[in-house]
Amino acid sequence: MGSTEAPARAARALGPWHPQEFMAECVETVPEAGGLMTFVFRRCDGAPLAFRAGQYVNIAFPVNGEDQDPVDRSYSLSSSPTEPWTFNISVKRDATGLVSPWVHQNVKPGTVLEMLGPVGAFHLPDADRRARYLLLAAGAGITPIMSMVRTIHSLPGHADVVVLYHGAEAGGFAFHQELAYIASVDSRIKVFYSLGDRNKPEGWEGLSGRLTAAMLDEVAPDANGRQVYACGPEGYLNTATELLGKVGVDDTSIYMEFFSGDRQTLLEYQAELALAVDIAEEIAEEIADSAEDYYESQPTAFGLYEPGYDAEGPLQATGLPLETVDPEAPETSDGGSAAEAEAEAPDASSFETVGTGSLTLSFMRTGINVRIDPTEHILGPAQRAGVRIGANCKEGMCGSCKVVKLSGEVDMNHQGGIRAREIDAGKFLPCCSTARTDMVIDA
Amino acid sequence: MTAPVNLPLKSRGKLASSLPAEQLAEIAGLFEFRRTGYSLDAPFYTDPTIFKIDMEAIFGEHWIFAGSVAELPEPGDYITVDYGPYSLIVLRNDDGGVNVLHNVCRHRGARVLTEAAGSTGNLVCGYHSWTYSPEGNLIHASAPGETKFDKGCFGLKRAHSRVVAGLIFVCVADEPPTDFDETSKIFEPYLAPHDLSKTKVAYQQNIIEEGNWKLVMENNRECYHCDGHPELACSLFPTWGLTEGLIPAHLEEVWDRNKEAQSSLEERCRRYGLPYEVVEELDTRIAGIRISRESLDGEGESFSADGRRLSKKLLGDLPDFRLGRCSMHLQPNSWFHFQSDHVITFGVFPVNEHQTLVRTTWLVADDAVEGVDYDLDKLTYTWKQTNLQDKAFVELCQTGAGSPAYEPGPYMKSEYQVEAFINWYVQRVQEHLA
Repeated sequence: MGSTEAPARAARALGPWHPQEFMAECVETVPEAGGLMTFVFRRCDGAPLAFRAGQYVNIAFPVNGEDQDPVDRSYSLSSSPTEPWTFNISVKRDATGLVSPWVHQNVKPGTVLEMLGPVGAFHLPDADRRARYLLLAAGAGITPIMSMVRTIHSLPGHADVVVLYHGAEAGGFAFHQELAYIASVDSRIKVFYSLGDRNKPEGWEGLSGRLTAAMLDEVAPDANGRQVYACGPEGYLNTATELLGKVGVDDTSIYMEFFSGDRQTLLEYQAELALAVDIAEEIAEEIADSAEDYYESQPTAFGLYEPGYDAEGPLQATGLPLETVDPEAPETSDGGSAAEAEAEAPDASSFETVGTGSLTLSFMRTGINVRIDPTEHILGPAQRAGVRIGANCKEGMCGSCKVVKLSGEVDMNHQGGIRAREIDAGKFLPCCSTARTDMVIDA
Repeated sequence: MTAPVNLPLKSRGKLASSLPAEQLAEIAGLFEFRRTGYSLDAPFYTDPTIFKIDMEAIFGEHWIFAGSVAELPEPGDYITVDYGPYSLIVLRNDDGGVNVLHNVCRHRGARVLTEAAGSTGNLVCGYHSWTYSPEGNLIHASAPGETKFDKGCFGLKRAHSRVVAGLIFVCVADEPPTDFDETSKIFEPYLAPHDLSKTKVAYQQNIIEEGNWKLVMENNRECYHCDGHPELACSLFPTWGLTEGLIPAHLEEVWDRNKEAQSSLEERCRRYGLPYEVVEELDTRIAGIRISRESLDGEGESFSADGRRLSKKLLGDLPDFRLGRCSMHLQPNSWFHFQSDHVITFGVFPVNEHQTLVRTTWLVADDAVEGVDYDLDKLTYTWKQTNLQDKAFVELCQTGAGSPAYEPGPYMKSEYQVEAFINWYVQRVQEHLA
């Protein structure tokens, strides 16, 4: 309605690249080669998404239905931030996976998902006088690399880009038509393909075989002077690290994104996500206190996503105004509000009480009281007492033990496994929490 | 109207022609009967009169390396360069060019600028506030009661200058030697890819060596003494200066490694269109030069213990870190090492017959960040150590030249560049005296 607020909000969101929690609507799906599907999203608030080529978003997928806790997954953005009004992720369908088949089947135009991002230190620099890159991709590892290629292609300036893309079979190179087009019209960008030996069909004109030092030397004899960005499965990246060292690329010139989903990778992702959550949270708080003071106090230098940022750095380093998390978005009511639960709760005094300790935890669904010490994490004693709480990492990262607290206080030392709004809605992770008071828990 | 601004120095008489005939004949004889292939007689290193002749015949007549554009990044930035009796102001002007002015006030001769480097608008003499524009024009001199004072007659004297591939050369002669342009054409293609205009000074070191400037130069022109440079020997092949047939047994393995590194370096140079061939005209032209691109040991990137880069930012538009060192020797007062990641310039500025200022400047890409892209201590380590060792060697020789027992000794085959330097020097002075 001609309000001045909307454009101002949009302009603010363009500035920095702070991670935010936001809702996004799928507007298009595009099948890609190699079992990938590209999902095009736009933010529900109409703002553009500011990110750096190579970063990812963390998305909450309601794979078990809208009334159950969603499952979080991180996906690299494959589109270019120079077209920020929509953004893409490209998901490879893993038939044995929990999430990707669901995504392929259920996410379609109109689907709205909750996201957190952008996140990740794997991205192109904002400015590079010598934009000389070697981009290595294997399989679905092409997604962040594709974002980089699209970004460089869409911007003017000097650049010298060599892409080496490994795939398992001739028909399995996602984006190959677009890559071929870009390489044909943009002399700054060269694209090489290589196939595993066994699947080489007649007439294949690309390279063949796994990554070797000779292959690196063939596609980029000056690899030594390039910044290398590599993304793919763990084995591929380990090989790449070794070979890059052999051809003289300095460790400090190599940036990698693991796509294997091994534990270490998950830990790294979770650490980044945890930080992102903290930043989004803190900024929201500060802005809530006084938006004017907050914006005026920000220095212009911006170094948030420099490699090796730490928990102290980001807020001090943030430069431009940013969009805040929408504080009004309600938590989905699964099992009712705390008040409701309390009102309908059976009387805990009739429950059996087990364990020893100074505090009493009442688990209302299980119908048991567990006594614990204020120093021990809640999960262990609860599980031993027969309370059914799923748990995976037990380090506050995966979020699988998330439960609702009906009353009482905890000290939680989580590592990104829970979002700010979930905490506000009374949830906590018993694996990394100690009780401060007697508690009533919806479990 | 003839401007009396640049009165030729010769109008005040050459030192050579002002000396008593007997003394001049004696000195001329020293040059004439110099024994080829042998070090110079002691007076060349110790005699104040010969030093004065050196200043007149060499530093007063030839193109001298003064510094690089990285030392004067902005308009108004200047350095002062002193050697022998001269003091020059080298100043970046508003047009991006370089002005070279004699740092001698036209009032009573005071030094106008007294700092080694700085930034200035106009140039104000500290004595009576005579004020000159960056072009050297006298624009203000308070003159109460004066009626015939014409400011136009008292501009700072200018010297000639050339900026080639970012290196600044000056010449105080009225008519500089013309072959410098030819020499420039030789070295410009080697150095230009390193783009000194996009570098900054990471560190500058000034050392006074207690030795005659020629001993400093001689020491630089050979690696026979390189066993005395353990830090440098990590990356600089100790076979430098040797050729097939001269390799001692203990260096044969190194020699093979050197040959292999050189051939892959040359292959890379051909790929990138970088010249690497040796050009050696040290005493066959007035602006004597030797230039080449040669491999470094280890990773072949820079002067570090393992040959690995010392700054993470490539210079200019260079595509590769493994480019060894492009090294240049210029007569009479400079040498240079251009790597892919940093450049080191060496300027030799005589103070008197027994003291010499050696100025070493480390340049890195202007967007390289100290502590992030390079560690200053590591960047400068090898050559700081080497310079101190060289200073000690020079001083040993200076002491020796003062001994009654000193007599010239033979330069070895691997010291042919020392002989070339001395031959060049003797020829230049003899021409001047003639």
